[in-house]
Amino acid sequence: MRLFRHSGSSFIRFVTLALFPAGTLLPFYWMLVTSLKSRKEIYGDTLTIWPKQLTWANYATTFQNSNFPQYFANSALVSIVTALLVIVVSILGGYGLARYRFRGKGLIMLVFLSTQMIPVMVMLIPLFMMFGELKLLDTLAALIITYTAINIPFCLIMMSGFFQRIPYVLEEAAMIDGCGRFRTVVQIVLPVMLPGIVATFVFAFTAAWNDLFFGVMFANSDKVKTVPVGLNSFIQKFDINWGEMSAAGILSLIPVVFMFGFVQRYIVAGLSQGAVKG
Amino acid sequence: MFSRSLTGRRRLRALQPYLLLLPAFVIVLAFFAYPVAKAFQLSFMRYVLYRPNDIGFAGLENYRALLTDPNLLRILWNSLIWVVATVGLQFLLGFVLALALNRPFRGKNAYQAVVFLPWSVSAFLIGMIFKWMFSEHNGLINHLLLQIGLLDKPVAFLAMMNVSIIPVIIAMVWYGVPFFGMMILAALQSIPHEMMEAADIDGAGKMRKLFSIVIPYIKPTLILTVLLRVIWVFNSAELIYVMTNGGPVNSSHNLPSYTFDKIGYSADYGQASALGVMMLIIMAVYTVFFLKATKYNEAGDI
Repeated sequence: MRLFRHSGSSFIRFVTLALFPAGTLLPFYWMLVTSLKSRKEIYGDTLTIWPKQLTWANYATTFQNSNFPQYFANSALVSIVTALLVIVVSILGGYGLARYRFRGKGLIMLVFLSTQMIPVMVMLIPLFMMFGELKLLDTLAALIITYTAINIPFCLIMMSGFFQRIPYVLEEAAMIDGCGRFRTVVQIVLPVMLPGIVATFVFAFTAAWNDLFFGVMFANSDKVKTVPVGLNSFIQKFDINWGEMSAAGILSLIPVVFMFGFVQRYIVAGLSQGAVKG
Repeated sequence: MFSRSLTGRRRLRALQPYLLLLPAFVIVLAFFAYPVAKAFQLSFMRYVLYRPNDIGFAGLENYRALLTDPNLLRILWNSLIWVVATVGLQFLLGFVLALALNRPFRGKNAYQAVVFLPWSVSAFLIGMIFKWMFSEHNGLINHLLLQIGLLDKPVAFLAMMNVSIIPVIIAMVWYGVPFFGMMILAALQSIPHEMMEAADIDGAGKMRKLFSIVIPYIKPTLILTVLLRVIWVFNSAELIYVMTNGGPVNSSHNLPSYTFDKIGYSADYGQASALGVMMLIIMAVYTVFFLKATKYNEAGDI
């Protein structure tokens, strides 16, 4: 009833605000419901909006009779190492961009930004050949190196935005007190920037976790495939079993959704810093 | 002695930014500049993976094959539709979302985490979910349309000529709204309160405020966001690859998904590279024109 006492425009706003999460959640809901149905129910004559009988069978098969645990472990390792490497390089370069004036700064920014224009499709073949010559094809290292490299330009600019938000006086004060620049940054600036660093970590982690084409190109054997690559090669060979596919999908969502929920605010800030101020 | 070490120090200080940026710069050279140069080179070569004995300079052969490819017009057209429809709808919905979110309300943080969720999901998974929802057999969309009475028998949306790209575009819009929402929201929050208050005092209406203050103020962000999104969507092939794989008969390929098809199935690296170079040129020309047309350098001051 309270709703109707509001003006018309706030009613429209209420409806708008309700529609977005509904539309966003529908596909997730459908995947979840599918993952909890029995094979018979998924392919039965009548489609059910909620499972008549809940079953964990799809999850059990995904864990026991598939390579999914291996893919999951690969994805986790690749994404964590990638994110850590990206952070180190981005902190160094981001600090350089944010705190110094030097010749060629504009050019470097331009180069970093223009990398965002280069299609993955252009990079696939040359990198495939390069890793072939380095004997790194079909290794996790090839994936880690690639994901680190392609995420650095954006993450570095984002990181430099986070540095710029921290007043330089803070550093100067510490340096006047006799603290060296390196120690100042590590002990004073980085702790203040922690939200930004975490956001960058999640950004790079997510990008590595979700990549498809580099993985398809570089990873051949099951022991190096990540989750999307493994599931993709599976459906190329066999008919899609939607119950198991949905269960695997839900499981693969857990890490990113969990992290994203926590740092979403900082990512919003970082993205706008990186893209707008950059 | 003293003064020499001081100049030495100053010199070191001048070198610091370069040293700090060195790792990133080397990586960019190796993983962006080198591949682009190599792709240019390959685009002028005969290079099919399965025929290692027949590799060599081919002049413009790959480009000629590309321009006489009967699929090319269709694919360019699809690329255009794909970009315009997707970015247009993402922009519109993202803008509405950001405006709705721009005032505080209870549970806003949790709300934002939900509506921005698609951004963090892999394109592979999104493609799979939508493929399943649009499936002819036991698909949710068919079920709902049958229930409302819009259909009288299930339709194989993803296997129909001229139709199959539409579900992919819907999935892509769903995927991209959060990014627009995030960028526009961040820009909206940078508008000074005094400006809005002054407009209120002057008695400006909602629409008036939107078009006279809000949009001009955030124009630089809007321009950059559209620019980045167009590039990203243009280069994006995952959803097409997963949902239709370009089918039926190449009718739903865009440039990158067609390129991946060339890499994966015919393993013709020469032609695939020529396609990649073409994509690069299109994007470079687009970027220059877009920035000129929107007068980006002059935007942002009202």
